[in-house]
Parts: sequence; C-alpha cells; structure tokens
Amino acid sequence: MFEPKVKIDRGLYATLQRAAKIADYSSVDEFIIHILEKAAAEIEQAQSEQEIRKRLQGLGYLE
Amino acid sequence: MITVVSGLPRSGTSLLMQMLHAGGHPILCDDQRLPDPDNPRGYFELEKVRSLERDATWMADAEGKAIKVVSFLLGRLPPGHEYRVIFMQRDLGEVLASQARMLERRGQPAGLEPALMRAHFERHLESVTKWMSGEPQIRVYSCEYAAVLRDPEATALAIAEFLETPLDIKQMVSAVDPTLYRQRV
Repeated sequence: MFEPKVKIDRGLYATLQRAAKIADYSSVDEFIIHILEKAAAEIEQAQSEQEIRKRLQGLGYLE
Repeated sequence: MITVVSGLPRSGTSLLMQMLHAGGHPILCDDQRLPDPDNPRGYFELEKVRSLERDATWMADAEGKAIKVVSFLLGRLPPGHEYRVIFMQRDLGEVLASQARMLERRGQPAGLEPALMRAHFERHLESVTKWMSGEPQIRVYSCEYAAVLRDPEATALAIAEFLETPLDIKQMVSAVDPTLYRQRV
C-alpha cells in the first residue's frame, strides 16, 4: 500500500522530537500525525462555518 | 428554564413551534417574519435571535417560554439559564432540497452544490451534538421530523415528558399537517 511521505528539514524535526517528548507522545510520528489531524480539522471546521453562515444568511436566519 | 427548538433550517423547527404553541406552551416570537409559501403556517421566530452573536442580553425574556434558535447559533446561548433543547433531525437530502427551494423563492444564489453543502452540515451537526453533550445547562431531546409526521401523538407525549410540562396533546397533534411534508427523498 502507498504510504505518503512528507519532507521536513532537520531543524524542524528536532524541534518536533523535543515537543513530542515534552507532551509525552510515544513517538515523534504519533505527535506529528496528531497535530496535523487537529490542524486539518480546524481548517475544515472553519470552512464549514463560513459556508453555513453564507447559507443561513441567504435563508434569512442570520443577519 | 428555556425551551429551545433547534436544528438546521428546514428540518421541521417551525412545525415543532406550532405544536408547542397549540399545546399551550408559551412562545417567544414576533411577527417580523410572516407566513409564506415555504412556511404557510408561520415561522414562530424572534428577530433578535438572528443577531444572537452580538446581543444575548434579552435571553431572560425567554424564561418559561419556547424560542427557535437555528443550530448554528446554539453556542451563543448565554450562560445562567437552563435550556431544554428539542433538536430536529431530518434527512439531509430533504433539508437541502427544501433549502434550495427557499433560496430560489428568496432570489438568493443557490450556493454550493448539494454534496459539498451536505458535508459541511454533517460536520456541523457532529460538532454541535458533541458540544451540547458537554454542556451541563443543556438537556437535549432529539426529534425525528419523519417520526413527528408518522406518529404525532407519540412525539407530543415524548416532548411533554421531556419538558416536564403539561401540554394539550390533542391540540399538538392537530397542529401537524402531513400535506406540508413536501420534500421527501
């Protein structure tokens, strides 16, 4: 199965390693996956809110 | 305690407000939004709810009454009150079809294609459901629109029990007009 890989520079990786350790993650991979999932969900949520707001304004439910 | 009828637009919130009104539950609404072909029996809305994001100081006026608050604004309900939320659930395909008709009648752009809008609504419903479950001042009764039409008496009884309020069940049932169920999937 295809496993996508993302390149990041060594300095950032070292920072993420340190942060993962401080936050008590079992690995840096687990930490990176978690923060990426969280960031993507926040962006999607914000986009949904924006689209729903437009829809509600069109329907007369928001000023 | 404040009774809040909520859900997505076109999920049956007006119908529920009509039932509560018929059953003798006090309603907080005004006549700013008049009946139209989308809601021939009226919206039972309060204009101030539309601006809930910037002003919720009037919420005390809703104590002991029922108000309609679209699900998007539930997070703006101010603290300091106990809320019983009747949350309307309706097939999203029906909701989207009904919204499309309403947008058209209002001369508004159709907006996103239904599949994309559905995804946004699904995400929103998941988020608002999760949020409500963590709010101690909110109790929720999830009410299926299709079930209201299928068995209005059972719904009316369940709502009276949820609200712990004596309501006129017969009158609530008579407020349900199945001919207004127009966007079936």
